[in-house]
Amino acid sequence: MRSRRATAVAALLALGAAFAIVAAASATVNRSAAPAAASSAGSKLISCGTTRTMGVLEPITGPAASLGKLQNDWIQFYVNSHNRTHKKAKLRLAKGDTVLGGPGGTAEAVKAAQSLASNVLGVIGPAGSNEVKAATPTLMNAGFAFVSGSATNTEITSDGTRKGFFFRTVPPDAIQSTSVSNFINKKLKFKRVYIIDDQEAYSTGLADAVQSKLRAAGVTVTRDGVSQQQSDFSALIAKIPRDTQIVYIPWQLPPKGKAFGEQMRSAGKGSINLMGSDGLFDDAFASLSGVYASSFPTSGSHPIVKAFKKAHGGDAEFFGAPSYVAAQVVGGAIDRACKDGKATRAEVRAQVRKTNLKKTLLGFNVKFNSVGDIAGGQFGIWKSNGTAFLPVG
Amino acid sequence: MPDEQLPPAPDQPRIGVDEWVASVEGKRERYSGVVGRLRRVWDALPVGGRLLVFAIPAAIFPLVTTEGNLFRYGLITLIYALLALGLNIVVGFAGLLDLGYIAFFGFGAYMYGILASGHSGHHWPAELAIPVVIVGGAVLGLLVGLPSRRLVGDYLAIVTLFFGQAFVVFVNNANRINFPFVGHTDLTGGANGLDNIDPLNLFGWKVTTTKEYYYFTLGAFVLVMMLLYFVNESRTGRAWRALREDPLAAEVMSMPINRLKLMAFVFGAATAAFAGTIYGAVQTGAFPGDFDVGLLITIYAIVILGGAGSLAGVVVAAIVVNAVPELLRDPNQAEWVFYVGLTVVVLARVRPWQRLVGVVAGTIAFGFAVHAIADAAWPRLTAGSSGGEGALAHAIGSWILLPSDPKQIANFAFGLLIAAVLGLTLIDGVWRTVALVPTIYLAAFVWENLLIQQTAGATRFLLLGALLVVLMNARPQGLFGTARVEIV
Amino acid sequence: MNWSLFWDLTVSGLTLGSVYSLIALGYSMVYGILKLLNFAHGDVYMIGAFVGYFALQGLGGPQNPSVSVWLVVSLMFLAAMLGGGLLGVVIERFAYRPLRDAPRIAPLISALGVSFFLQNAALLVFGASFRDYGTFDLIGGKTYHRGNVFLSVPQILTIVTALLLMIGLTLFVARSKIGKAMRATSFDREAASMMGIDVDRVIASTFFIGSALAGAAGVMFGLVFGQIYHYMGFIAGLKGFTAAVIGGIGSIPGAMLGGLLVGLAESYSTGYLPQGSTFQNLYVFALLILIILIRPSGILGKGDVKKV
Repeated sequence: MRSRRATAVAALLALGAAFAIVAAASATVNRSAAPAAASSAGSKLISCGTTRTMGVLEPITGPAASLGKLQNDWIQFYVNSHNRTHKKAKLRLAKGDTVLGGPGGTAEAVKAAQSLASNVLGVIGPAGSNEVKAATPTLMNAGFAFVSGSATNTEITSDGTRKGFFFRTVPPDAIQSTSVSNFINKKLKFKRVYIIDDQEAYSTGLADAVQSKLRAAGVTVTRDGVSQQQSDFSALIAKIPRDTQIVYIPWQLPPKGKAFGEQMRSAGKGSINLMGSDGLFDDAFASLSGVYASSFPTSGSHPIVKAFKKAHGGDAEFFGAPSYVAAQVVGGAIDRACKDGKATRAEVRAQVRKTNLKKTLLGFNVKFNSVGDIAGGQFGIWKSNGTAFLPVG
Repeated sequence: MPDEQLPPAPDQPRIGVDEWVASVEGKRERYSGVVGRLRRVWDALPVGGRLLVFAIPAAIFPLVTTEGNLFRYGLITLIYALLALGLNIVVGFAGLLDLGYIAFFGFGAYMYGILASGHSGHHWPAELAIPVVIVGGAVLGLLVGLPSRRLVGDYLAIVTLFFGQAFVVFVNNANRINFPFVGHTDLTGGANGLDNIDPLNLFGWKVTTTKEYYYFTLGAFVLVMMLLYFVNESRTGRAWRALREDPLAAEVMSMPINRLKLMAFVFGAATAAFAGTIYGAVQTGAFPGDFDVGLLITIYAIVILGGAGSLAGVVVAAIVVNAVPELLRDPNQAEWVFYVGLTVVVLARVRPWQRLVGVVAGTIAFGFAVHAIADAAWPRLTAGSSGGEGALAHAIGSWILLPSDPKQIANFAFGLLIAAVLGLTLIDGVWRTVALVPTIYLAAFVWENLLIQQTAGATRFLLLGALLVVLMNARPQGLFGTARVEIV
Repeated sequence: MNWSLFWDLTVSGLTLGSVYSLIALGYSMVYGILKLLNFAHGDVYMIGAFVGYFALQGLGGPQNPSVSVWLVVSLMFLAAMLGGGLLGVVIERFAYRPLRDAPRIAPLISALGVSFFLQNAALLVFGASFRDYGTFDLIGGKTYHRGNVFLSVPQILTIVTALLLMIGLTLFVARSKIGKAMRATSFDREAASMMGIDVDRVIASTFFIGSALAGAAGVMFGLVFGQIYHYMGFIAGLKGFTAAVIGGIGSIPGAMLGGLLVGLAESYSTGYLPQGSTFQNLYVFALLILIILIRPSGILGKGDVKKV
């Protein structure tokens, strides 16, 4: 017994040593290859053919699956309308499930990014700001341009690490928070504000920014948070003082916003103003008459929006609209790069950089600045009349 | 006399029989068939050999392929396996139900981030940072273990769950903390996570690519396995086993129960912290949502599926729990996986070979017949197109009904399929074979029209869930666990 | 002392607490009989909510129901309870019964598998979007108030229904024959079978009742709070489990008490403590630990006598 154990130990130690050697050897090989690998992955020629592939990273399953569906509907709508007019240059989607908010955390997003096949030319997504951060090394190493329609955290462009690779078709939190705090402070002239976040990165980022800007302007701000899974807000509503002038809820899920508004009315606090962020800019939230929401200046009369409504039985929500524009950006870039029948991911990146879309359905032109944000993106404030949102500021 | 009063078959755990007798019976049990032969070979291998059986293919397989994502899956599998090893100490060796285990994992990632990231400004090399994090994890395990000493079973679960939740809420809000002397610090980046974590910098070797991380983690994993094996064989390991089997008896035999529990917590926490360090470096960031109850449940599934207390089982279970969803990610691949899987199951379960041939031929004929009838009578039922692409899908297209508007029919068929499968387990004999044919066809129908739309999403986890149920029913003690006797 | 705030918080706590109680009851009953923590219980609750939703749609939808409001609501409850109960029985038959003699944690993993399966099957079949009960105008609009004290119809409905169900259950377990059989089986399963009790049938009944209650809780949740989706069972299950443990797992009155306590604790901590809503889960857990330290087997739990 003893001697068998000893031989086992010896064998294992030898194995361990062998591993160290192999690892070191392969490390040396890789280290010299690594820089070349990054640029070569981006510069490998992919044949375009008549059908080109766009990768999509979205939450297909998990707690945020409802958001993924909204984005997917808009992206698919773009692909369908694009393919109708480009019979010899069709686009198809290769989907990766990032399971935003699910048990595997951001690891799923990285796995999804890594699962994109070698014929994918450009990527739409990921949806969450943390997912963008986690998946950046993978996507950059593979040479992809990745354009997100919903990752609004200001840092991911302002820190400059993703320059030339990451772009987004939705203005960052810094711009939205400025519009919101200006509206509350200067236009509505409110002095007592209650801010409630939903503990997710999108929400706390916006809430922090608005809070600091309002406090700097001398407004009294009380802050609290709820969980995104929560549906009963009555205790929190009971705590809100009756002299509060406006409650700001920068949340992501419109049904929750609607439930909050309804519960405020049940509790007799319906006279307190309620304001949501662009995550709540949706017909469900608009069913509460008199609520505010911030959003890019999308108009219900824009031809694309009308066509989308027609194709979806009269319903249109705008959470997925920036994803449509993201698909426009990536699809357009692929079309231009593939003019000569072959393209590299680096070419697609360069074409994305040159995007110049006029009068997009977001209400402004889309052209990217040097860090990947939309140059001149703005947010407007809207007010609901009980059925839909109308612009007020 | 009802069947349940007769003595059950020898390889079932029995109520009222003591473990010694049960273990002797187990030894005389003959494993049959191919599986039996494999088991006997496995049991005869020395421990080092078993480790090599796992380690060598794991080291070689990535060299054979160039697919980047295989490295990634392998890496995540290894990290989860490492985590499961740590949990195995707490749950499997010592029998403590720790529901806050993932907090140690998160602690490892965040601690490493604080020591070596662009966010915090420090850039410690890995050879300094890793030991510090491991020690930190051990200390945290000690702190959590101290109040838990007097708690038992389900109550320990609640307390540790609290700790786990407290950790997540803390890191989610820690960017607004006002410490007494230092002032306002952004410790963990809050909900935005602690990003720009440095890659591991081990004695000058910067681990950057997934491949390098894979080998590093593999080496670390082998080392931890060896360490745990020796701990398990030592006095402490035996004491843990005694504690797990019967805490009251162990206490009466004057074993230092509290010290043993603490040691289990400490070891488990240290392993988790180590795994967390690697994870933080691999993900280049630590985000609060990554360390919540969902991952905890996944790791528990791995430990218990593999057989709590068994080291080899943990590895196999980690592969099963990670590989199954990944195999189904790509719709084309998923097609093949489904049909191959279905064929294998039918091959394995239908004996003798005459019946097997009958079932296969019958299913194919049934399918074509139904297709032909549908073509003639209700053309809308075959007007749609298959979800996948490639030769197999085209072949399937002429065998399966593909309605042009599958949604409603597919939903009903799904419900019907579940009822059919469950019903199949209830009937026996000839009727079961006969009923098998339409059930297989129905399964293929549901797959083509409903499940395949979402292989990248819901289907993966659905099949994983079903797999867990089936595996547990087939082998309740886990894949590598020892059949245990519960003394009631 | 702001009585209006106190009243609001108490009502809110009791409302949500009633939902938790119903879920906790299912956990407690199953644990009492089988010593099994049924992870899939939260997902039965979710399926119950969806069944109620489809029943509502089938009866004309929230805008113009084809029969009177109270009949609609009763039918929804009935459908959800039946559906939930059946689902519970099926799960028990196929996922737990074969594992009855296995080590205690094997059925836990089986339950986990069932939970994954149900969540994702719901996602596949029902879709990813939130479904809105839309009953705010149907039953929710009316609010009774005197001065600053408010009480809305959904809140009354929830508390009263839960109370009725719980009283019904207690009477059932105390008086009926099956109830007696359940108590006997949970005390000593082997002895009960030797006394001629059909243990399989008793366990199936237990699952039926517990899951029916979860289904009812699902419908209640939908009526009061509006939105349902495939993932809602996860957190509700966790909270229900916590409530069952505080009250003393295995004890029916304990589950009721535990659920109400959890609801009230969430409510008061949100209302009175700084940043209370952000940290409410933590405050609740801290309370639990306090209770467990004082009374280790839960408030109404029976201390376990260990046989040596």
